[in-house]
Amino acid sequence: MTSLLEILTSEYGVHLAILVSLYLILSQSLNLTFGLGQLFNLAHVASYAVGAYATALLATDYGASFGVCVLASVTLSALFAVLLGLIALRLSTDYFAIGTLAFSSVISALLINWKSVTHGVLGVPGIPRPELFGIDFYQNSNFVALIGIVALVTQVIFYGIYRSPFGRSLRALAEFERAAASLGKNTRRTRNLAFCVSSAFAGLAGSFFSYYLNYIDPSSFALGEMVFILTIVIVGRPGSFWGVIASTIFLVLLPEPLRFLDISSAYLGPMRQLLHAVILFAVVWYKRDSLFPQRRTV
Amino acid sequence: MLSILPQLLVNSLITGSIYALASAGLALTYGLLRILNFAHGHIMMVGAYTFLFFYVQLEFGFLAAVLSSGVSMIALGAITLAIFIVPFMRASPLLPFITTIAFGTMLESIISMCFGVNVRSFPSSVGSESAEWFGVYITPLQNFIIASALIVLGCLGFIIHQTSLGRKLRAIAENRAAAESLGISANVLIYGICILATLLGAYAGVLVGYETNIQPTMGSSYSIKAFAAMVLGGLGNIWGTIAGAYILGLIENLSIGLDFWGYSLPAGYKDAFAFIVILAVLLLRPHGLFGRQSRVA
Amino acid sequence: MLDIADIFVSFRETKVLNGISCSIGSGETVGVIGPNGSGKTTFFNCISGFAPCESGTIKLRGERIDHLAPYQRAQRGLGRVFQNFGIFREMTLLENIQLALESRAGTTVGFLPWSKRTRAIKEEALTFLNQVGLERKAHDKAGSLSGGQMRLLEIIRTLAIGADLFLLDEPTAGVSPRMKEDIARSIKNLQALGKTVLIIEHDITFIQKFCDRIVVLEEGRVVLDDSPERVRNDERLQEIYFGRDEQPARS
Repeated sequence: MTSLLEILTSEYGVHLAILVSLYLILSQSLNLTFGLGQLFNLAHVASYAVGAYATALLATDYGASFGVCVLASVTLSALFAVLLGLIALRLSTDYFAIGTLAFSSVISALLINWKSVTHGVLGVPGIPRPELFGIDFYQNSNFVALIGIVALVTQVIFYGIYRSPFGRSLRALAEFERAAASLGKNTRRTRNLAFCVSSAFAGLAGSFFSYYLNYIDPSSFALGEMVFILTIVIVGRPGSFWGVIASTIFLVLLPEPLRFLDISSAYLGPMRQLLHAVILFAVVWYKRDSLFPQRRTV
Repeated sequence: MLSILPQLLVNSLITGSIYALASAGLALTYGLLRILNFAHGHIMMVGAYTFLFFYVQLEFGFLAAVLSSGVSMIALGAITLAIFIVPFMRASPLLPFITTIAFGTMLESIISMCFGVNVRSFPSSVGSESAEWFGVYITPLQNFIIASALIVLGCLGFIIHQTSLGRKLRAIAENRAAAESLGISANVLIYGICILATLLGAYAGVLVGYETNIQPTMGSSYSIKAFAAMVLGGLGNIWGTIAGAYILGLIENLSIGLDFWGYSLPAGYKDAFAFIVILAVLLLRPHGLFGRQSRVA
Repeated sequence: MLDIADIFVSFRETKVLNGISCSIGSGETVGVIGPNGSGKTTFFNCISGFAPCESGTIKLRGERIDHLAPYQRAQRGLGRVFQNFGIFREMTLLENIQLALESRAGTTVGFLPWSKRTRAIKEEALTFLNQVGLERKAHDKAGSLSGGQMRLLEIIRTLAIGADLFLLDEPTAGVSPRMKEDIARSIKNLQALGKTVLIIEHDITFIQKFCDRIVVLEEGRVVLDDSPERVRNDERLQEIYFGRDEQPARS
């Protein structure tokens, strides 16, 4: 037991706690659109990237303060969702998935090529840790408290959303759009709002990601990352609040023991990817009849 | 500016041919099964690596390498369908999309582990020295790419529209139950088409390897490109998709080759530009340029 | 011709067919009626193989077919006409019939458009279209037809696969009253050819004209199986359609 405690309080343990908190925000926000709303949103990682880059660029090139950066990340990601919703929410299922995928690809192409703003593949280095109320968050032990609180508040907010009338109408829409519409639900507005909220929280996660790593580059926001978040939500059962929390903790920590094996780093990345893909497939295989409620149409 | 236009058009034709070969199989699968196979680009990548393995690493003869890659790809096509698509089709059309994302990721990581993540290419034996025709430079390999795409797609068109087999395929695509009640065995044809799609994809992958280079991460970008061509043409509409593939090639080459009001886009932007065009198409025509409803042809 | 013994079908948790048994003689025309949700269409799906039955046996000319795939049953002469139109709208009328004839001829690959056999089949397809007066539309898309014409095309197409047992699921649904006459005529034509016909129909007055027997389904069971007149006057039919405790709504 002492060894476990040692790990938890060590620098490594703190690092893991920060990662878990970050992914809790990211996956729970995807759960709103993908899980509750059954919207096959593959642009979540793009919202995450918008948030991360907003903070990274404002904090380095303009020296903006913590509050300004976080606010800018959240707002920009929400605006991004408005733009995305404008196009994607008009589309039917298959086109929707491809449309959000294309959106995501536009963002990653911009991150790589718009060098004058995003610094291209070299990424943005030297993002300073924030200072707040006289506390210096340069220490990871302080930073973990900050992100832990933010993650906790986020979970509480989402718990509220899932049980609110808004959450219920989103769920109803997913199952039977026409029936929900005939109950007087404004289908467009409900989905747009879900998109914005989900994207705003992804932006928040992106902001903290930038602050934590001090350095970001486009490779952190590639499709593989999207697949990972998607895996978390699917393993936790789409739409389930506690399920997604549990699977976030499980999946973020799962590949960690691989680090202690004697594997060259060239194999480590693909191996983690393979592990996640196998888990994703296995879960979908076992739950294939119950994963998505039957969609009904008139 | 206009002097480079012919060259750009030829380049578009080359890119478009590869995209057309890559997306034709995807469109056929979508037309028959109404599912999006995200692993299609990855299968293309695996096809290229399989050929690399037999031809370059094991030093098989050309024909032997083609045959053994072909057999491996037939097996891969059957596995894709039997394990990653068919068991999930009944529950929800979204599930095969998710499982093929997982499958594509598996393929990508396995190939990365076996061959490394770095760029590989085939030895350029023939067809690298370009000939000039009326100010347009084109290599014999590029001529071959364009011609073979036209021949393959022409045969495909002939089969779909003129033969008994094609009638059966169109029947299954439109109404599977009604086709089966006419005594048509849908399963056999579906396996046949998925294997054909895999072979077409692998062929496109090998062409990419000869024309430029290959790497394990190319899979998802080709999947997205092929989806883009499908969206341009309307999902499941194979001729629309093929037209979409050539249009995509045209957009990519024109966007970086031409200068707009004295300002030209850097080469890296061609992907972004192509996707922006697709989003614009979706905004104006949510069912694609030629799309009315899904169908195979 | 068709012997059905004790078949059970359930969808998810609900039992749709609860042990149906009946047997249909060769050349007989049998109507299947029952309220909505009584399992009529599932009954047809079970016979044609689209809804696998959990237990029970289905025999066609003495041969068990309940383990066969839909296309194998079709090849054994079981023809299905769908309620929501089973024609291929994106194909021409001619191609619709060609498909059926080619399926009967057992051809798969290597059927080139200029071969003699293909041309012979095309000719034959035209004669089929001729029978229902649709030959002038042979090269139009089937989707351009009216509901009644689509149904006629589907019946004639089922004839073209060489079926001798016809399952007609509400042949008059979505058909204009004027075209009902044409449908009735083509059903009588099937009878004249000695085919065995099963018809699901809501309109009992429409089918009693040509049915030898009427089977009434309720909650997945056969409650009545008798001649049209006897069924029509049976109290139980009134009960099923109009409730048990009320007076019959029409006499």
